[in-house]
Amino acid sequence: MKLMSNIRHHPKDLTLAAYAAGNLDEARGVVIATHLALCAKCRLAVRDYEAVGGGCIEAIEPIAMTDSALDSFWSRAGRQERLRAPASIQAANDFALDAAHPLASYLKDGVDAIEWRSAAPGLSQHVIPAEGYRPGVLRLLKISPGVRIPKHTHGDEELTLILRGSYTDEVGEFYRGDLADLDGDILHSPLATGEEPCICLIATSAPLRFRSLVGRVVQPFIGL
Amino acid sequence: MFGGLARKMAAQRPPHATAVASADQMNDLLLQVARSSDRDAFNRLFEYFAPRIKSYLMKLGAAADLADDLAQEAMLKVWRKATLFDASKASASTWIFTIARNLRIDAARRAARPALDPDDPAFTPENEPLADVQIDRAARDERIRAAFSTLPPAQYEVVRLHFVEDLAHSEIAEHLNLPLGTVKSRLRLAFEKIRKDLGEIDE
Repeated sequence: MKLMSNIRHHPKDLTLAAYAAGNLDEARGVVIATHLALCAKCRLAVRDYEAVGGGCIEAIEPIAMTDSALDSFWSRAGRQERLRAPASIQAANDFALDAAHPLASYLKDGVDAIEWRSAAPGLSQHVIPAEGYRPGVLRLLKISPGVRIPKHTHGDEELTLILRGSYTDEVGEFYRGDLADLDGDILHSPLATGEEPCICLIATSAPLRFRSLVGRVVQPFIGL
Repeated sequence: MFGGLARKMAAQRPPHATAVASADQMNDLLLQVARSSDRDAFNRLFEYFAPRIKSYLMKLGAAADLADDLAQEAMLKVWRKATLFDASKASASTWIFTIARNLRIDAARRAARPALDPDDPAFTPENEPLADVQIDRAARDERIRAAFSTLPPAQYEVVRLHFVEDLAHSEIAEHLNLPLGTVKSRLRLAFEKIRKDLGEIDE
């Protein structure tokens, strides 16, 4: 719990609202869900927005179900087992990447089994397929300590969640659980700080842009 | 143009008192289902929510028979998961909204991966720390719904398009023929107004 209160950078209100509305693409949804698993404050905010969704459902003009719907419902329900009340839930808040949290289902074998692809000295990436509902691009970026990513903008809104390590940039200092919800026109150059590599979970818009982003980011860096 | 829209929307809104009364009732019914698998209680939930979920799905483009089928499926989740309903975390309509929302995300995506489930233990790994804030979550939800239902029509409409018709900010802008910035500021104003009504920010 003490750990969680260290989170200083949160998603924008409109991003949380869009998440609650079910309106974010899958990649952004995973980044927000992972932040929420760590941030009680944002979870409560999302609940508030979901209450707005509850209000929408109440206010919606009902459309009658077919006459046989209820009978058909009970014949389906009869075949299904009901869930029992949950046992007490194991706390999993140390944010080990391989612990159960929303990202875990996307990384079957845990973070240590990730096949990183080098993008430049001190910089590697792993793209995670997340092109289901409303396609987006999800990827992990690993920056070695002391490596600075050259100044760049994103051209579009981008969500970056720090999973391990830390970085500092023009916006501030980012540690585990911090989320940068940056406008596309923000110019920044993150510098990985601390002892361990900084691992970030990043969502950007479709179509797949990382190659061009790497180009933009890495070009001046590796002299292409 | 917006005058007509406003009148139409005002006509669609249920009287506030009715909505609140039914909200309390729905919470009780859902708790009865959780405690004793009460089928009569569930039938009343079905009667109230299934046609609304069907309407929600049809607004998103589902044909009537598919919407009927998916609404039954959503209610099946309500029946199966009722024991997970925690009145200290959400009211019935909020909880059922999240079930319907996840179901339609699942239905719309090609990948087999299910939507992130807010009831999944992994999703809320530790005890909620701000217990005082949510002593009576249902009452808070009710106040949020009341605040939502009294939003100025232009704000109400952008929220509705976002939450019900699943339009992204840019799509709302296109739909209403407004600049993107106007859509975002209307949404912000709407949420600020709701927070003001909750007494969380000053007028």
